[in-house]
Formats: sequence, C-alpha cells, structure tokens
Amino acid sequence: MGTEIYSHLLIRSLYQPIDAFQELAKVEPSPMGVLFRYTIWLLLLPPIFSLIGAANFGWRLGADEPLLLPTNSLVLISIGYFLALVFGLITTAIISSWMAATYGASANFGKHVALITIVGEPLAIASVIHLFPDVFVNLLVLIPTMMWSMYLLYKGVPIVLDTPPERGMLMASSLVGWLLVAAVSLLGLSMALWTLGVGPLLGV
Amino acid sequence: MEAVTNNVYHDKVVIRLIQFSIVWALAAMGAGVYISAELIWPGIDFGQFWLSFGRLRPLHTNGIIFGFGVSALMATAFYSVQRTSHVPLFAPKLAWFCCYAWQLLVLTGGLSLLAGWNTSKEYAELEWPFDIVIAVIWVCFGVVFFGTIATRKIKPIYISNWFYGALIIVIAMLHIVNNLAIPVSIGKSYSLYAGAQDAVVQWWYGHNAVGFLLTGGFLGMMYYFLPKHAERPIWSYRLSVVAFWAFTYSYIWAGPHHLHYNSIPEWVQSLGMVMSIVLLAPSWATLINGVMTVSTAWEKLRTDPALKFIVLSLAFYGLATFEGPMMSLRSVNVVSHFTDWTIGHVHSGALGWNAMITYGTFYFMVPRLVGRELHSVRLANIHFWLALAGTMLYIVSMWAAGVSQGLLWLSVDNIGELSFSFKDIMASMAPYYGLRLVAGLIFLSGTALMAFNLFMTLKGQHATRVSVPAVDPAYGVS
Repeated sequence: MGTEIYSHLLIRSLYQPIDAFQELAKVEPSPMGVLFRYTIWLLLLPPIFSLIGAANFGWRLGADEPLLLPTNSLVLISIGYFLALVFGLITTAIISSWMAATYGASANFGKHVALITIVGEPLAIASVIHLFPDVFVNLLVLIPTMMWSMYLLYKGVPIVLDTPPERGMLMASSLVGWLLVAAVSLLGLSMALWTLGVGPLLGV
Repeated sequence: MEAVTNNVYHDKVVIRLIQFSIVWALAAMGAGVYISAELIWPGIDFGQFWLSFGRLRPLHTNGIIFGFGVSALMATAFYSVQRTSHVPLFAPKLAWFCCYAWQLLVLTGGLSLLAGWNTSKEYAELEWPFDIVIAVIWVCFGVVFFGTIATRKIKPIYISNWFYGALIIVIAMLHIVNNLAIPVSIGKSYSLYAGAQDAVVQWWYGHNAVGFLLTGGFLGMMYYFLPKHAERPIWSYRLSVVAFWAFTYSYIWAGPHHLHYNSIPEWVQSLGMVMSIVLLAPSWATLINGVMTVSTAWEKLRTDPALKFIVLSLAFYGLATFEGPMMSLRSVNVVSHFTDWTIGHVHSGALGWNAMITYGTFYFMVPRLVGRELHSVRLANIHFWLALAGTMLYIVSMWAAGVSQGLLWLSVDNIGELSFSFKDIMASMAPYYGLRLVAGLIFLSGTALMAFNLFMTLKGQHATRVSVPAVDPAYGVS
C-alpha cells in the first residue's frame, strides 16, 4: 500500500470523484504530508480572495453602500479566517478518525485528512467569488458548492474509509452534524469578535 | 369506534391523529410559504385583512405547533404508552374526545386569528375562550396518558413516558399561568401581568413551550421510536434518565435570554444566559445516546427508508441545541436579536428536528398500524432529499440575511450616527427572502409527497388488531 497521494488526485476528484476516492482508498498517506503539501494551500485561497475583494470593493451586505474596513483590520480578519479554517479542518479530521471505531471505518489519520481536504476542495475553489464581495452573490455560488461537498462527503466516507455504504451514511451524517455546529460556531465567534471591536464599527 | 376490549391496543385514534397532523402540516406550512412570499411581494394580501402578514403569521406558528406538532405528539404518546405499559389506553373514549376536540380547537382558533383576535403574546396568541378549552382538553390528555401508566402491567416506566409526562405537566402549568387574563369581551382580554413582569412570564412560557413541547415531547418520540426502528435497546438507559432530570431542571430557567438588553434586571438576563449554556449538557447527552443507539443498527438502513429521517433529525437537533445557547450569549445576541438569524434558528429546529423526526416516525408507524408495506419507498427517499435540501437552503439563507441585518443596523459612522436606515436594510433583504421562499416550497413539496404516500398506504385499510403481549414476571407489577 502506497503512502503518497499526488496532486492529480485532487484535480481528478473535481471531475471524477468516485474514481479519485477509490484511488485514495488504496493508499495510506502521511497526515503531515497531505496537510503541508496540499491542504494548507487550498485553505489559503478563501482568506486571500476575501482580503483582495474586501480591500478593493468592500463587502456589500445588502445596503447600497459597501462596508469598507481599514486594511489592518481586514488583514487581521483574514488571518483569523485562515486559522479558523485550519483549525476546522484538523478538528474535523480528528473527529472523523475518532468516529471511525464506532462505524468500523479505517482509522488511518492521513486518509481522514485527505478525505476532508477533497470534500472541502470545491468550497475552497469556489471561494474565488469572495473577489466579488456581495453576500447574496456569494451565497448563490457557495450554497450549490456546499451541496456538492456534502455529496462528496456521503459518497467518499464509505469508499475511502472502507465501510459499508449504510454505515458510511451514518458516519457522514454525524460529520454533517459536527460541521453544522462548527459553521454556526464560526458565525457566533465572528459576531462576538465584532461586538468586541474587531471588524466593522458597531454601535454597541 | 373500536370495541373496548381488555387485551387489544387502541390504534384507530392514533391513525386519526396522524391524519389530522399531516393535514395541519400542509395547511400551516402552506401559510408559511405564503407569508414568506408576502415579504417579497407585499401586495399579495390583496388588501384583505385576513390575508395580511400579521394575521397569517400566528396562523402559521399555531398551526405548526398546535395542529401538526401536538397532534403528532398525542398520536405517538397514545401509541407508545400502551406498548410500554402493556395495557390498552385508559379511558379510550376520552382519547377520542381529545383527538376531535383538539382539531376543532385548532380550526376555530385558527379562524379567530384570521379574524384578528390576538392576545399579542407570541405562541400564546389565542384569546381567553380558546385558552380555557385548551386547558380542559390538555387535562383530558393527561388523564388518558397518566391513567394508562397508572394501570400498567409492567413495573418500570420507560424513559419516553417520562418525557411525554413532563410535556403534559409543564405545558399545563405554563399555559395556565401565562394566559391568566381579565376578559373584556368574547374576543379581547388583558394579561393579568403588566410591563416587565408580563414579558418575563411570557418568555418563561415561550421558551419552555419550545423546551417541553418542541424539545421534550419530541425527545419522548425519539426515545421510543429510535430504539424500535433500530431494534436495539437505548445505548445508555442510565444516561437517558440523568439527561431527563438535568433537562427538566435547567430548561425552566432559560427564558430570560429572549429579553437581553430589555427592561428586566441584568442579573435575570445573566441567569437566563448561564442556564442556557448549562442546558447544552443534557441536550447533547441525549444526542449522543441517540447517535450511539443508531450507530450499531446500520443494516436497518438497507430496508427502512424512515430511519434516515431520524438519523438526520439528530444532526439538526445537535445544531439547534448548540446554536440556541450560543445565541443566548449577550455578545452574540446583540447582533442576532430581531434579525432573521433567529428565524433560521427556529427553523433548523422546526424543520430539521421536529418535522424530520415526525416524518420518520410516521413512515414507521403507518405501515405497521394497517399491516401493509409503505406504498412507495422511492417517494419516501425523494422526500428525504427534498427535506434535507429545503432545510439547508432555509438555514443558510437566513444565516446570511440575519448576520447582514445585524451588522448593518448596528453600523455607525464616524460621528456616531447610524450608517443605514432600517427601511433600506429591509428593502435589500428581498433576494434572501426569495431563497427562503424556494426553500419553503421544496420542504412543502416533500411533505405533500409524504401525505400522498401515506394516504395511499392507508387507503381502504383498517387498523390491525394488536394484542397486548404477556409481561415477563420479573418486570410485572406485583
């Protein structure tokens, strides 16, 4: 069994995800290798796009006037965004490998990191829409992408982690539960930071 | 009506309640879809008062909670209490009375809301004559339920019955205390409480109606039907009992988080916030218990389409019970309060948890009640994906709308003046409301598919006669 995954696997997962999952199932990659060679670079995309978009055009939340923030504040938000994404991906991979025993799935941590990277990859690429920082337009692009990512999760878990499809469905649903909680935590954390003075000037 | 015998379960009343529940789901969700369209095109009330948002909105919430929700809870409570007590229903005629009187109440109460009778208390909008009728029917519900438990042939009282019992007792207490009022005419009354006290009592009621009806009652459903679906005992019975008492103790304090930054004492707000955070522990203890119970029963997913609904409902239960305590934090609430984020939060619970677990339970019960296969497993599977897509789209669109609203109307310029007007902010929300309308239509179409599927399953069938099984002497009432 090989220990390397190659960049073509990540590209292939975009148009032939099932084949890519089957290929990934045959290797036992090193978690650090996957993380530093592929994952981190993908996770850099959303904060970079967001920084460029917000600095040049300002976020449009719905009102006519865009919300323009000072550059140092935007850099701080983007760094926070990046750290939150890295933290989210690693904790998701840890939780996924922790769940593996319950659902009879492979416990190889590298596989979990690689699987979560492939599941999140379409979202990282679609974050190019942050260059056009209008919340509604972003939503229109990111909601279908999120559904595609959920499809990848449900399809990928049983194949990559070698567990029956029904058991994989249960594990994927548990991960969806965790991801929903993580998403809303990110939202809550951002709100709390904003009210504490990081971000837009609020009257609180 | 079925013959009263001593050894056959009373299931006809259960079937009738399920049918009513589905009718109310369609009507009340239809009203919800209509008012979501009104937020985009206000002119579609056609100048009719009864079609206005202010009158249709309480019809939507009351129809869902009292029509769809309570009918489903009565149906599942009557079904499960007989089977966990090993006796037929106590006072079956009273159960039939509860069934029909409740439907009449929801129908006439709904019409009164359309006519403009409204106490202005959220989720307690019905005026005093209806409140009295609710109290009477609720006591009858309690007599049937606790009478069945009192005459049980099996000694332990199974955990689902504790949750249903808490639902009946606590809702009676909340409903009576919150609705104490001085009537001035048949359609108008004034609350016995004034000012801040009225607000505190109202949200003690409002939050615990969510707690003991939409959470506790449906947990009763989960604790009976999930192990039944999975054909496994609950993962940890001890944990379920600990979670029940912790849940019952901590929920009742959390109401003041609805009144952050209002004219109630700050310590009351802080107490509500702290108890809301504490509530996370029993909520997630139940979540873990449910997830672990179903995790060993994965083979059942091959043959049972309904189990998927229950699995997913647990994920949304986890989301809603995490999101709620988080939104009770004052630093989050200052942005989220009065925005559509709250509406999204309510619907992650109402669509993702309450409706999904009820659908899963109905798909389980109906074929068994009439002794035949579900009409179409394929339609049930399509319904599952429609329900998931509708719920996700609803939540995400309301998250985006809510956060945008919160930030925009708290934005101030350099001299401390508000940057945007309320009117302009609301006018810019139409695209999000469009997404929400689509989400509602998707969810409603799934519900309509289920209604058709279950109608075809029930068509021309009669309730099968299920005999009460013998009780193991080790567990029998001595």
